[in-house]
Amino acid sequence: MAVSEQAQPVSGAVRGRQRRAREEELLVWPDLVFIEFIAAVLFTITLAILSVLVDAVLLDRANPAITPNPSKAPWYFLNLQELLLHMHPALAGVIVPTVALIALGAIPYFDTSNAGQGEWLSTPRAWPNLIVGSIVGFVGTLLLIFYDASSHVRLYEWVANPGKSKFLSNGELNPSFNGWPDSLAFLKSLRSIETELNWPDALTSIPVGEKILRTDLLGLPAIPLEINVAKVIVEQIIPVSTMIGLPILLSIVAWKVGLAQTKRDHMILQFSGFIAVFVILTIIGTFFRGEGLELVPYTIYSHG
Amino acid sequence: MATGEQPRGQTLGDRLYDFAFKNRVWKSVFRSGYPNTPRNQMLAVATNVFLHLHPTRIHRTHVKITHTFCLGGLSFFLFLGLTITGVLLMFYYVPSIERAYGDILRLETDVRFGQLLRNLHRWMAHGMVLTVLMHMMRVFYTGAYKPPREFNWVVGVVLLVLTLLLSFTGYLLPWDQLALWAITVGTNMVGSAPILGEPNRFVLVGGFQVGQAALIRFYTLHVIGLPLIAAIFMAVHFWRIRRDGGLARPL
Repeated sequence: MAVSEQAQPVSGAVRGRQRRAREEELLVWPDLVFIEFIAAVLFTITLAILSVLVDAVLLDRANPAITPNPSKAPWYFLNLQELLLHMHPALAGVIVPTVALIALGAIPYFDTSNAGQGEWLSTPRAWPNLIVGSIVGFVGTLLLIFYDASSHVRLYEWVANPGKSKFLSNGELNPSFNGWPDSLAFLKSLRSIETELNWPDALTSIPVGEKILRTDLLGLPAIPLEINVAKVIVEQIIPVSTMIGLPILLSIVAWKVGLAQTKRDHMILQFSGFIAVFVILTIIGTFFRGEGLELVPYTIYSHG
Repeated sequence: MATGEQPRGQTLGDRLYDFAFKNRVWKSVFRSGYPNTPRNQMLAVATNVFLHLHPTRIHRTHVKITHTFCLGGLSFFLFLGLTITGVLLMFYYVPSIERAYGDILRLETDVRFGQLLRNLHRWMAHGMVLTVLMHMMRVFYTGAYKPPREFNWVVGVVLLVLTLLLSFTGYLLPWDQLALWAITVGTNMVGSAPILGEPNRFVLVGGFQVGQAALIRFYTLHVIGLPLIAAIFMAVHFWRIRRDGGLARPL
């Protein structure tokens, strides 16, 4: 008795909701099936035309003896190859992508609210967060890449020496040329912190021995460890704190100024930033890395 | 002449229609009638093994192109296209470092439509990486990962990784300089992982450098291993879309 009395209004509400929903519905045949069919036909035609016009690249036969310069991974991995230039290879090649994918998969478990689903950017402040996140990710990454390529040094020397060239006509250094100050040489690029500062030997080679990583127990060769503090700071500590710290800083600032208030706001901010970083790293890696993976003006070396 | 005053007999069109759709052979294949009534239209979707991936009805906002840009469907379409062109390419390709490059050259010059086949496969592969990435962005910005669809987002991330791996393993097969060195650079990244990186790279490449062992491993993964895994995850992905109530809708 009690059950059916309780159930009455519930089932009534459900029936009412379903009836309202029915009027908003279309039949899959023909309304969806035809759209899918047309999309498939358009893509088939487009791909056929593209394939007639543009041939897939085939270079010379593979030759392990000749290493092309530069050697590049497929384009969708060039973002990782670009990271590889700025930090420890284990970090760029394995740890960062693994953490990024886990973080990507974990998005729904952070942002558990139902708000804003089923419509494009329908929560308040969605668009501002998207725009700010994308711009910060894009510009911030560019600035970091330029810093590591010593572009600020070249900019300084260009501004400080109007009309003067660095070298005289006989090839010697121009004595009146205002170069980057020696006292700030460690700020030339990230690597300069390791190479331009006088690190005491006691810090650059701390022997740890073979007793920490017992790879010999796995039947692998033992790895004698020697810690170079300068190298660890440059290759691991600074990149990790940058990659974790800057997004957190962005979220804190966005929260303080009222741009990001809900979890969804922060998600849009961070996801847009991530996509922007991914895109700019891919673009730089694909089009702006030349011989020796130096930063160069627009070129295509890798024919994808 | 006013129509309807005299009873019309069967026109030629009616007779052709009956001949085409009301014979025993047609009816043995398609159980529901021709989909020109709402009942038959729903039956056409529900009783067809391919179409029954869909529900029979769908909310009117979901057929708007700008809601999804068809990106998930296009990714699946490209996967199917890649399977078809891939099977045809397998007729002409032997995964041996002596033959592979020559096979691609012969495919391009001796096989009728061979170059077109290879181009289609290559552009569809690039296209699929793009559509999968854009599909992920679409799902994120429409908030379609929210409860109850959390797990399907995770399945989607796995499918993104599988798409990249499928493309990466296919990259080596033409056995030209681009393939060899792209895979060398890519697998060296795996080798840079702490402790287990080098053993993993060794297993992946089947040796210290990219050679015959790497080619047969990548080929096998590319043509059977990864597509099977991807198909399983796709089945889960599509099933979960239906179980979770179709596309996400505003509350």
